[in-house]
Amino acid sequence: MDNLNIGRHISGQFNEDLERIMNHVMHMGGLVEKQLADALTSVCDADEALAKKVLNNDYLINNAEVTIDDECTRIIAKRQPAAGDLRLVMAIVKTITDLERIGDEAGKIANVTLESLSGKHKDLLSNLDNLGRHVLTFLQATLDAFTRMDVEAAIKVHKNDDKIDREYEALMRQLMTYMMEDPRSIPQVMSVIWSARALERIGDRCQNICEYIIYFVKGKSVRHTTPEDFESLS
Amino acid sequence: MISVTPKKLSEHRVKLDLNNLSPEQVALEIKNLDLYYGNKQALQNISMSIPKGQVTAFIGPSGCGKSTLLRCINRMNDLVDICKITGEINLNGENIYDRHTDVAALRRKVGMVFQRPNPFPKSIYENVVYGLRITGVNNRRVLDEAVEKALRSAALWNEVKDRLHESALGLSGGQQQRLVIARAIAIEPEVLLLDEPTSALDPISTLTIEELINDLKKQFTVVIVTHNMQQAARVSDQTAFMYMGDLIEYSDTNTLFTTPAKKKTEDYITGRYG
Repeated sequence: MDNLNIGRHISGQFNEDLERIMNHVMHMGGLVEKQLADALTSVCDADEALAKKVLNNDYLINNAEVTIDDECTRIIAKRQPAAGDLRLVMAIVKTITDLERIGDEAGKIANVTLESLSGKHKDLLSNLDNLGRHVLTFLQATLDAFTRMDVEAAIKVHKNDDKIDREYEALMRQLMTYMMEDPRSIPQVMSVIWSARALERIGDRCQNICEYIIYFVKGKSVRHTTPEDFESLS
Repeated sequence: MISVTPKKLSEHRVKLDLNNLSPEQVALEIKNLDLYYGNKQALQNISMSIPKGQVTAFIGPSGCGKSTLLRCINRMNDLVDICKITGEINLNGENIYDRHTDVAALRRKVGMVFQRPNPFPKSIYENVVYGLRITGVNNRRVLDEAVEKALRSAALWNEVKDRLHESALGLSGGQQQRLVIARAIAIEPEVLLLDEPTSALDPISTLTIEELINDLKKQFTVVIVTHNMQQAARVSDQTAFMYMGDLIEYSDTNTLFTTPAKKKTEDYITGRYG
């Protein structure tokens, strides 16, 4: 929290407002992390009840997004934040949008559980589980970096997205082989593909959050930049 | 396939390099300016170039020297007996602190507007033509044209055109301040100094003056001192942050208010000063 340098405003009320928003973002991050973990567990254990719970709980994340959004709007209207404070509020507004979308992706994964997957394709799910665990670790590292506003960690996590992309591509090749070998399996394999796609998108959204961390701390927008531009930051 | 590399948006923005302005771009050049009130040094080695046709804002806490620096630009500090100034301020390449400078002529080139509107207890018309009359202009037609032009530039013409010969003291605070601006620009100065021009005005009058400042920069170089940081952010192209007589940071306003280079600047504009 100290890296954020929130607590030194002359206005104690402003300090409290920013601290409250940061706490809400962390809470929302925790919810998203749990939703993703539950979605992955549900798909691997074929736990329909857990999948339904994930789908039912999505509203909690949506509510958190709306609440934090409102609080940020209020801060902009009342405090006219500048410099680091402005960048923090902007980073938060963008981060919660990505967190909410990660929640939606978790919902898509839970939906796969509710599709009937025959025992024959169980090994497909084990591959999905591997990718899922990696993405979950990736999300946790992103949320950690956000909590501490740690640029070094954010850069490291950002670079690791390549690994997820490679794993995703390998899984896709494997799934295509299944479809070619047994066209009757296409509907089931397609469900797994949607889930894998959702996981890959979560990786991209974590990367976005890392970019917001860098924007807040360094004041530089690294979106749509080349890896060489990125190197100069570390 | 045609490959197009899109230009980054930031490349489209015209941003002046304040350290490398060409002589044609510079309205005022302040060089190694030190100012003492008796033994107390109020400005320390200030050097900066103020670009032509732009709005430059000075911000900083009370007593940081921003008004003192502004007053140096038209030698208002000459009126303070214990004030001693070293260094240079060049207007069109000539040092205004040169021994041979005609101060009255300088003040015709560098107009000033103060915190509180100070119209003379005369008619609106006479207020605007006051400076011209002093310079010997008495031709009625010339004066009429100057009044209309100045009042239009000050965004006041439509409100007062039917009562030009009524007392200026009957105008509202915001109108009085615009009248004072009209009086300052009637003699067509090169630089207009505004010392907290809206601090005594209500929010709507403030916005009108801010809109006016934006229009004025098409004709004049504007330098404004303001306590209101949001105002500096809204109206200025460049902002200088001063603290205890030092110029801490001087850069384009967008950069200063989003990614200031100095910690002191960041602390001040985010309300962590003190």
